[in-house]
Parts: sequence; structure tokens; C-alpha cells
Amino acid sequence: MLSRVVLSAAAAAAPCVKNAAVLGPGVLQATRVFHTGQPRLAPVPPLPEYGGKVRLGLIPEEFFQFLYPKTGVTGPYVLGTGLSLYFLSKEIYVITPETFSTITVVGLIVYVIKKYGASIGEFLDKLNEQKIAQLEEVKQATIKQIQDAIDMEKAQQALAQKRHYLFDVQRNNIALALEVTYRERLHRAYKEVKNRLDYHISVQNMMRRKEQEHMIDWVEKHVVQSISAQQEKETIAKCISDLKLLAKKAQAQPVM
Amino acid sequence: MNENLFASFVTPTMMGLPIVILIIMLPPMLLTSSKRLISNRFHSFQQWLIKLIIKQMMLIHSPKGRTWSLMLVSLIMFIGSTNLLGLLPHTFTPTTQLSTNLCMAIPLWAGAVILGFRHKLKASLAHFLPQGTPISLIPMLIIIETISLFIQPMALAVRLTANITAGHLLIHLIGGATLVLTSISPPTATITFIILALLTILEFAVALIQAYVFTLLVSLYLHDNT
Repeated sequence: MLSRVVLSAAAAAAPCVKNAAVLGPGVLQATRVFHTGQPRLAPVPPLPEYGGKVRLGLIPEEFFQFLYPKTGVTGPYVLGTGLSLYFLSKEIYVITPETFSTITVVGLIVYVIKKYGASIGEFLDKLNEQKIAQLEEVKQATIKQIQDAIDMEKAQQALAQKRHYLFDVQRNNIALALEVTYRERLHRAYKEVKNRLDYHISVQNMMRRKEQEHMIDWVEKHVVQSISAQQEKETIAKCISDLKLLAKKAQAQPVM
Repeated sequence: MNENLFASFVTPTMMGLPIVILIIMLPPMLLTSSKRLISNRFHSFQQWLIKLIIKQMMLIHSPKGRTWSLMLVSLIMFIGSTNLLGLLPHTFTPTTQLSTNLCMAIPLWAGAVILGFRHKLKASLAHFLPQGTPISLIPMLIIIETISLFIQPMALAVRLTANITAGHLLIHLIGGATLVLTSISPPTATITFIILALLTILEFAVALIQAYVFTLLVSLYLHDNT
């Protein structure tokens, strides 16, 4: 406990010791030691694929090999026959009702094994193979899944390289928009200025017209004023005499 | 027959030590357990068999009843293996002894009944009266049903004992008949021998069937009471 406190204090002090603080509780437990013996069963040793060879289903082959140098091939069989006859004759093994049941049972078992042994073995092997195939399928599916994930990741990475196309298009778009806005504003400014100038021109025109009219009116007024009544009578009499003369001339003309 | 007919059913002791304990412990020792995912044929066969038994037997139960799976499967495996091994010559079969079978039957039956009374009191008591009985017969019927309930463990134990013992005895007797007849008239002996062969086949079947029946009945009592 105290060591843990010390370690955490040290971790607070220096960040590089923080990694060591993770091992703190483990260091504490390391004082208690487990499993100091040699690992005998790990990894588990592989099962032998086939059992030991036997003859007559009971006697290992090694026994026959053991007797072969001294007694040859028939040795163990002769030994077996002799032993069984000895037991029978000396009634060490007594023939009882149980003998017959023994014969029946053992005969039945041997018959069944000889007849159905191989097929049962195949059936069991098939069971095992099914189990293995199932696990293999899971393994293959996982591998394929991970492979697909890798490929997709690679595709995504390749896609990231082509991003600059996107950026170019966006840049162009923005430039166009800016250009359009600029021109629009330019046009508006031009229109405004023209408006102002037109106003001034029309004001000038109006002033001139007004001045002209005013001048004409003034001249007319003064002329009319200057014509007195007597002048008017004289002018009218003169016009009448002129007209008479003209009439006489006009009468005289066609006679010619 | 140099010994009593029932000599093979004597509880085995060797020099006063009850080796019957070792004998009872032997069949379970032959049922392997493996640390591997995929083992040899023997273990695969065992796994396949147990899977078959579980599927067959535990489907009808509710989840509460399925907590008894381990018990029932061990029961059927024990009884089956013990009976089968008892068919070999000069072996002792623990299931021929009423004591063994009572020890198996009474706790299992009592467990099932007590479970029923604890969790479904009304339903368990209702089992004492079948549906649709005329009112006048009710008292007698309740007494009969109670008796039949209490006879269940006895019936379980005695059924198993009687079947296996009878089988062994028959084999012994017919074997004895064959033995005696060989010196009198060999053809009759041959016929008797054939009868013995057929009987042995029957005994193999009976060994398995009795295990199945025992376990099935316990599971039935469980189903009633879960």
C-alpha cells in the first residue's frame, strides 16, 4: 500500500515515471510468487493419432516382439494355449455358468466391433471434421472481413490524394462569383453617376429655355409698349394706301 | 454351479475392506473429460451422446427444470455405464443392490416433490385430484393419489433393481443349464446356447433402457413440479 502511494506521488512529480506507476500494483503482487515449477502441461502435448498396435485386441505388439528372438512367430500363441489348458485342467479357472455367459457376451462384443467398428469410426471422424470445418469457416470469414476492411481503408486513402480537384473547382467557383459581383457593382456605380450628370444637364437645359422665353417675352412686351396709338394709326393708313396701290398694280398686270 | 446362485450379488469385500466403493467409482472414471477442443474418437462419441441425451430429455422442461440437466445426464450416464459393465463376466453391478437404487431414487424424487411444493403449492396439491372425478369419489381418490405419490421412489428403485437382477439371474441360470446339458445332449445345449445369446442381446438393451426409464421418470416428476 505504501509503495503504491510512493509510486503515485513519484508519478505526479515526474511524468516519465507515470509509466512505472501503471506497474505499481503488479510490483506489489510480485512479492507473492506463483507457479515457480516447470511448465509441464503447457503447451498441451499433442495427442497420438493412432493407439498402440495390439493383437487379438488385447495383447500389445511389443509382447510378441519381446518373445520373437527366443521362440519365433508361434511362441506367444503356444504360450497362450498352454497357459489356458493348464488353467482349465487344474481347475484354476472353473467352468461355471458364467463361462457360457462370458462366451456369449465376448462373442457379441467382438461381432459388433468387427461389423460396425469402421463405420462408427468414420461417423465420429466426420463429427470432428465438422467441428473443425465450422471453426475454419469462422476463421476464413474473419480474415475476409479484415481484408475487406483493409481494402476499403486503402481506397479511402487513395481518395484523399485526389482532394485537390475538389479544391480547384471550389476556387474557380468563388473567383467567378467575385467577378460577377464586381461587375455588377461597377455597372451600378456607372448608372448612379450618369443619373447625377443627366440631372445637371436637364437643369441647364431648362434654365436656358426659361431664359430664352423670358427674353422673348420681354422684347415683345417692350415693342408692344413702344407702339403708341398715333403710330398705330399712321401705320394702318400707310398699309391701306400700299394695299390700294398693289391692287391697282395687280389689276394692271393681267392687261399687259 | 459350485456356488450359491446369488453369489454374484454379494457386496464385494476384500479382506474385510469394502471395495464396493471402488467398484461404484469405476464406471464414471471411464467417462473422459478432455481439455481439448477436438479430441479422440472416444471423447467425440461421448460428447455426441451427451448432446443427444440433453436435446431429447431437456426440451420439455422450463428453464427452472433445465437447471437439473447436469444431474439427469450424470444419472443416465452412470446407470447406463454401470449396467453395461455389469454384463461382463465376473463383474459386480451396483445397481443390482436395492440400497444403491434407493439412494439414487429417494433424494431425486424428494427433491422434485419439495421443489414443487415450495414454488407451486396449489398446482402440486392439485395433482392429487384428477379432473372430472365424481364428487362422491373424491376422498378415496385423494388417498389413492397420495399413496401413488409416495410409492414413486420405491417403484423407481425396485424397478431398476428387479430388472437388472432378474436379467443377471436368468443369464446365470441358462448358462448353468447349457453347462449341464453339454454332457447330456449337445444339440439341446446348442439351442440353450442360442437362447443365451438372444438373452444377452436383450440384456444389453435392458441395461440401456432401464437407465433411460429411470432418468425419464425423474425428469417427468421434475416437469410436474417445476
